Amino acid sequence: MAITAPPATRTVTLTIDGREVTAPEGATIWEAARDAGIEIPVLCHDERYDPVGVCRVCVVDVGARVYAAACVRPCEDGMEVKTATPEVEQRRATLTQLLLSDQPPAEQDPKETTTADNELLALARRYDLSREDGIPLGGGRGEDHSNPVISVNHDACIMCDRCVRACDDIQGNDVIGRSGKGYTARIVFDLNDPMGESSCVTCGECVAACPTGAIVNKPIRGVPVRPRAELDQVETVCPYCGVGCALTYNVDRERNAIAFADGREQPGSKRRLCVKGRYGWDYAQDPQRLTKPLIRREDSYPKGPLSSDVRGEGRGRRKPGGLVNYDEVLPHFREAEWDEALDLVARRLAEIHREHGSGAIAGFGSAKCSNEEAYLFQKLIRAGFGTNNIDHCTRLCHASSVAALFEGVGSGAVSTTYGDIINADVAVLAGTNTTANHPVASSFFKQAKRRGTTMIVVDPRRERIADYADIYCQIKPGTDVAFYNGMMHEIIALDLVDREFISQRVTNYGELAKTVRQYPPERAAQICGVGADTIREVARLWGEAGAAVIYWGMGISQHTTGTDNARCLIALCSITGQVGRPGTGLHPLRGQNNVQGASDAGLIPMFYPDYQLVTREDARERYEAVWGRELDPERGLTVTEIVASALTGGVRGMYMMGENPFLSDPNVNKVRKALAALEFLTVQDIFLTETAEFADVILPATSYMEKVGTYTNTDRRVQLGRKVLDAPGDAREDWRIVCDVATRIGLPMDYESPSEVFDEMVSLMPNYRGLSYDNLGASGKLYPNPDPEHTDGTVVLFDESFGTDDGKAHLVPAEWLPAKELPDEEFPFVLNTGRLLEHWHTGSMTRRSYALDAIQPAAEVYLNPDDAAALGIAEGDFARVTSRRGSIELRARVSHRDTPGTCFIPFHFREAAANILTIDEIDPFGKIPEYKFCAVKVERAGPAAGAGNGAAATRAEGDDGYGGKRTEVKAASPSEGTDEMPAG
Amino acid sequence: MSAIPGAEARAGRFPGPSLIPKLTAIQREHGWLPREELARLGREERRPLYEIEGLISFYPHFRTEPPPGVELTVCQDLSCWLHGGEERLRELREIYGEDAGVEFHEVSCLGRCDAAPAAAVDDRPIRAAGVETLVEQARGGSPVPDPPARRTGVRFQNDPYEPGARDYRLLRAVLSGELEGERVVAELKESGLRGMGGAGFPTGTKWELVAKQEARPKYAICNADESEPGTFKDRQIMAEQPHLVLEGLLVGMAVTGAREGWVFIRHEYGPEEEVLREELARIRESGVLDGTDLELDVFVSPGGYILGEESALLECMEGHRGEPRNKPPFPGVAGLWGKPTLMNSVETLAHVPVILERGADWWKAQGVNGGTGFKFFAVSGHVERPDVYCVPMGTTGRELLDMAGGVTGGRDLLAFQPGGASSNFLGPEHLDVPLDFGPLQEAGSMLGSGALVAIAEGTDLLAAGTNVLRFFRNESCGKCVPCRVGSHKAHQMLTETLATGNGPADLDDRLTELEATLRLTSICGLGQVALGPVMSVMGMERGGAAARPQPRPAEPADRPSGADGSSSDHAG
Repeated sequence: MAITAPPATRTVTLTIDGREVTAPEGATIWEAARDAGIEIPVLCHDERYDPVGVCRVCVVDVGARVYAAACVRPCEDGMEVKTATPEVEQRRATLTQLLLSDQPPAEQDPKETTTADNELLALARRYDLSREDGIPLGGGRGEDHSNPVISVNHDACIMCDRCVRACDDIQGNDVIGRSGKGYTARIVFDLNDPMGESSCVTCGECVAACPTGAIVNKPIRGVPVRPRAELDQVETVCPYCGVGCALTYNVDRERNAIAFADGREQPGSKRRLCVKGRYGWDYAQDPQRLTKPLIRREDSYPKGPLSSDVRGEGRGRRKPGGLVNYDEVLPHFREAEWDEALDLVARRLAEIHREHGSGAIAGFGSAKCSNEEAYLFQKLIRAGFGTNNIDHCTRLCHASSVAALFEGVGSGAVSTTYGDIINADVAVLAGTNTTANHPVASSFFKQAKRRGTTMIVVDPRRERIADYADIYCQIKPGTDVAFYNGMMHEIIALDLVDREFISQRVTNYGELAKTVRQYPPERAAQICGVGADTIREVARLWGEAGAAVIYWGMGISQHTTGTDNARCLIALCSITGQVGRPGTGLHPLRGQNNVQGASDAGLIPMFYPDYQLVTREDARERYEAVWGRELDPERGLTVTEIVASALTGGVRGMYMMGENPFLSDPNVNKVRKALAALEFLTVQDIFLTETAEFADVILPATSYMEKVGTYTNTDRRVQLGRKVLDAPGDAREDWRIVCDVATRIGLPMDYESPSEVFDEMVSLMPNYRGLSYDNLGASGKLYPNPDPEHTDGTVVLFDESFGTDDGKAHLVPAEWLPAKELPDEEFPFVLNTGRLLEHWHTGSMTRRSYALDAIQPAAEVYLNPDDAAALGIAEGDFARVTSRRGSIELRARVSHRDTPGTCFIPFHFREAAANILTIDEIDPFGKIPEYKFCAVKVERAGPAAGAGNGAAATRAEGDDGYGGKRTEVKAASPSEGTDEMPAG
Repeated sequence: MSAIPGAEARAGRFPGPSLIPKLTAIQREHGWLPREELARLGREERRPLYEIEGLISFYPHFRTEPPPGVELTVCQDLSCWLHGGEERLRELREIYGEDAGVEFHEVSCLGRCDAAPAAAVDDRPIRAAGVETLVEQARGGSPVPDPPARRTGVRFQNDPYEPGARDYRLLRAVLSGELEGERVVAELKESGLRGMGGAGFPTGTKWELVAKQEARPKYAICNADESEPGTFKDRQIMAEQPHLVLEGLLVGMAVTGAREGWVFIRHEYGPEEEVLREELARIRESGVLDGTDLELDVFVSPGGYILGEESALLECMEGHRGEPRNKPPFPGVAGLWGKPTLMNSVETLAHVPVILERGADWWKAQGVNGGTGFKFFAVSGHVERPDVYCVPMGTTGRELLDMAGGVTGGRDLLAFQPGGASSNFLGPEHLDVPLDFGPLQEAGSMLGSGALVAIAEGTDLLAAGTNVLRFFRNESCGKCVPCRVGSHKAHQMLTETLATGNGPADLDDRLTELEATLRLTSICGLGQVALGPVMSVMGMERGGAAARPQPRPAEPADRPSGADGSSSDHAG
């Protein structure tokens, strides 16, 4: 049953401190008092959490034999409450004194000495108490420093339960609890494990919740955590995933560095952050930042990879992880001034354009850059070079979803927000490892589930989110079409379709019905491996739901059948009328912070900004008029096609803004050849990437932290990213660099600021109509937004019609097709690739972030316990994984989450690049590579570090086999600071 | 705010059956709880590991290390302490302290105060005097035999049945409709029967309240978690009158509309559990329940005095840490799984059949000195014949003490606790106070759990009071600040005072303030009463025990108990 707004409630009238107060029935005394302007002190309560009434500081006199805890006691008619009699205040002081006697001295308190906002000490000051007033002092309960960025001090803990609720009820991670009994009770992680070794995902919600010094942030990169008043607050947006959480960086201006981050109120993310957002911002301060333009030395031609790793010589060698070896690569470049570098870039690209035509030029933009930068970059390529060979990593994540959505409902954007799940009776999470890839969105999913939404998870990997599912469907990899066709077969068979919706708002239902008729649940079950009864149950749940919604990830899109997969989801929603109302609809969870915005802004070969087809004459003419250049009437090449074209001499000159295809594209060995084959390559980035080793010119850009721009999240929320830090050295904003190059090739761009670019962009994009830097506000605005001055924007799209020409949903039936490379005797495993919670894309940012690298320092292959046992591989052993395209060695992790016969490798790790193995087959419509399915073999390659031979040799070289970055994880063994207590 | 009662104790967060039986099963299989098994349990049941940790660290029965061989536990609570428990403990510590084959530790009251000092070998209770033999026997590999429940053969006056004539006729009458539920409630109300677990809430009113609740299903629980030092009367009632307890509970179920019921019994009462189960089997065989859908079972507590607090008991049954809930709501309205739940103590239920058989007037006439009906008392401490006595309500302390043979060795009485560990100590000048709710309250103490502990001249009374505080500190669940920290700090200060002869100069003032804070701000009765007895001892020289107001015995009629969030009632 969905949670809806509570019905208008009755009220109760009571007296608080002599004043008559009316409160809604069910309101607590604390809430009623607050609303009446009466503050009642409390330690264990925070409005974000359900009250627990354990600190008792908020007790009030209600005229009974004992006091009542105001935070948890509901108001009653006629109640007479006294909140601050001398007796009540005396009891509060005594409670404070009791807690104070167990606390560390203020000058050693982990909170008072950092952010200086210890709520217990504030209360102690209010009551003028000192720690040593005669109550026996406690102490010695232990500390736990095992987490790289969070310190736990059990002495400072008052057992207020806030962290427990933050962990459970807000983030849904369920790690922290109470252990023991009586005075020896403590908070614990999992089975009383050190925090750093527990299942804690370091989201830091507990830090944000803790009122005392019990759970605090550690300084990162030596930047001290100080009181907020001593730091600058910059309200901006998280630079990582598409969830786009609002946050505030507390900036140490003297050090030009971030001290710590706070989640900030915003309608979507509601102050929540994940480990990347809260702790992964220090990459910008990494000493390896590029600060001067670099030009390849004459003697470093002919071009090719410069480091032994990128040459592929590292293959088969067990070695510490890490990033591009600057010592090996930098000598091949010389520093240059901006003018020289920009002139060279413009001249070489113009020459290639002149000699080989428009088709010889291509650009890769980035979903990590701003809307304005995406817009300018595509404008440069389209108007400056007359080609639509412009693409970015959307091709690698949701291109097939967008293709299907565009074809089906006329819009590539989500039809509703992630937070709208709270209004759904049933939610299907399809092929999405949300807890890792969209952690904050997943917290809303988990919350909705706990409040009554039936959650169905469909995924071959039993991801963490599956633990929360009402029904988990472990389909075989690559069988989504069969599963959803089976569901639709049953829905039609049970007549659970929405006939009215179909007749009025859907086309091609007949063809769809004909196709899914071939997929009775028994047949679907045979293909997808989920029992026919489960398919029936899921179909019935979906069909009978008042409101049902689908969220999906790259498990749907990254297949050669990715578009078909998404077509099935669109059909499923359409035939049941589950779109266009709260709690219904289609939501492809977008990967990067600005993949939605970059696509909106036209960073794709087939669309101008706002999804105007380049092949449509009217659209082309409109853009030609505004940009003043003749435009290419043909759609351009996609990422994978550009790589292929470079190998055959088609594309010869490339401009890459913030992309690293060497690691992100499938079949690395092929990419390596393609990059080396380019006549000219300029790479604009903040670090020396693997791809940059092939560059002729490297342009040092600013990081997200050092510029202004807008970013559009997965919900269609356009938010302003503000400048946090000063750029290092000569690094320059990406938008300025693009303008500089454009102007030099004869396409003048003289924008004064990103807001000017935004205004031009918005003028061309009906969906963004009305938005401007002035009305985005602190928490951004959803588009479309008819009145951005006054409203947050439109949550639910398609309430009356779809974005297609005829306003109807166009159903496209899909037949199940097997993956392109099935397992066989030689390569018996199915390889699945994806991301880890702590890492991001090719790791250039996250592996330079202290917290993220410390928590997850190395590449691992995840194997089912039975498979691992059969292969003789133990946890931590080295495994060799080989496909028809290459081979890598990496550690094994034995994981209950992986199905027998499959293995999983995250793609962030250059030293064991998963994409050496992946196949470069693509979906025919979305042109997205099949990252989720290829055949590999797995062998044991050596023992765990410390178990002898090869690994030991590596360690002897002076590190721990993981680049020596693993942080100290030894926990203080907590001792009980009390005398002997018998068991009950 | 959340509508789920007890949500603050994480109840309802992880829906699903209690993990306690599964944990018990793992422990039975392995002898302890290996980590891999716990991880597997969490994975398979999809429950967070911290929930498992919370349970196994809260309930003393669970062990996370392999057992060493023999487990020897020794009680140090008041009655045992008065019987040289400390000395015996020292001896046993010398013998077994370094013995790797014996796990030796102190334990809270075993409910064997009539056999003080009490101990247990492998959870089998025994007089501490004889443990060596049993330890050796257990070490030799022979399991320690369960002693049979102690039965005296005395027929207590509250039993309407002739020996051998337990035909459950009152239950039959209720089930057949011959005796209407409304009449049962009216009779109980008229009889003046009040909860015998401590709070004294009118039983008929409670039944009426649960009966009129519209929510379904409803549950009924007999609170047999008697765990307060000095208190063992329920143990004896269950041993001698299992038929009355079960009949009372079944009648309560029939009257209130509860279909499922349980006797929640402490795990140290193995022999009595056996008696109850036998009687339950007899009931089922007798066919009295045929044609009804009443289901009754025994639920064995995983341990801890706090579980006798009614809402902690519910938390435990739901599979959570036994931490009391904030109240209201009360169990009669929102109890087990949030549903209306009738909860009465063993003695309360045992009195129901005779009241229904002989009528309210007869019952009222049994009391003396203004009391109504009968009252069971456990008498222990410095008395010649510690035992359970069923006497007319209103019997004086002096009369009861005489029945128990007087103070040991004819010594003079120094003080006594009339109502269990949570009742204030009274001096000998109060020996003629009728043992009843009102008079005891007026005297500055309370009827409490019906356990009279006598202390002879020559005892260090402050040490005795501190011993009582120690029990409460040890049994505090740790949920709320005043009880968790306050009981510990007060105990620390008193222990230091006892050891050095002088504690903090302002000890009196400090304890007075702490007592007020614990009494007024603790969530449940445990914290509210923890400091009372020791304060009463300190107050004696100043002319009385009334260091604190006593709990009001009766509550407003629309609430089942403890209307202001706190009944001191321990065993319902």
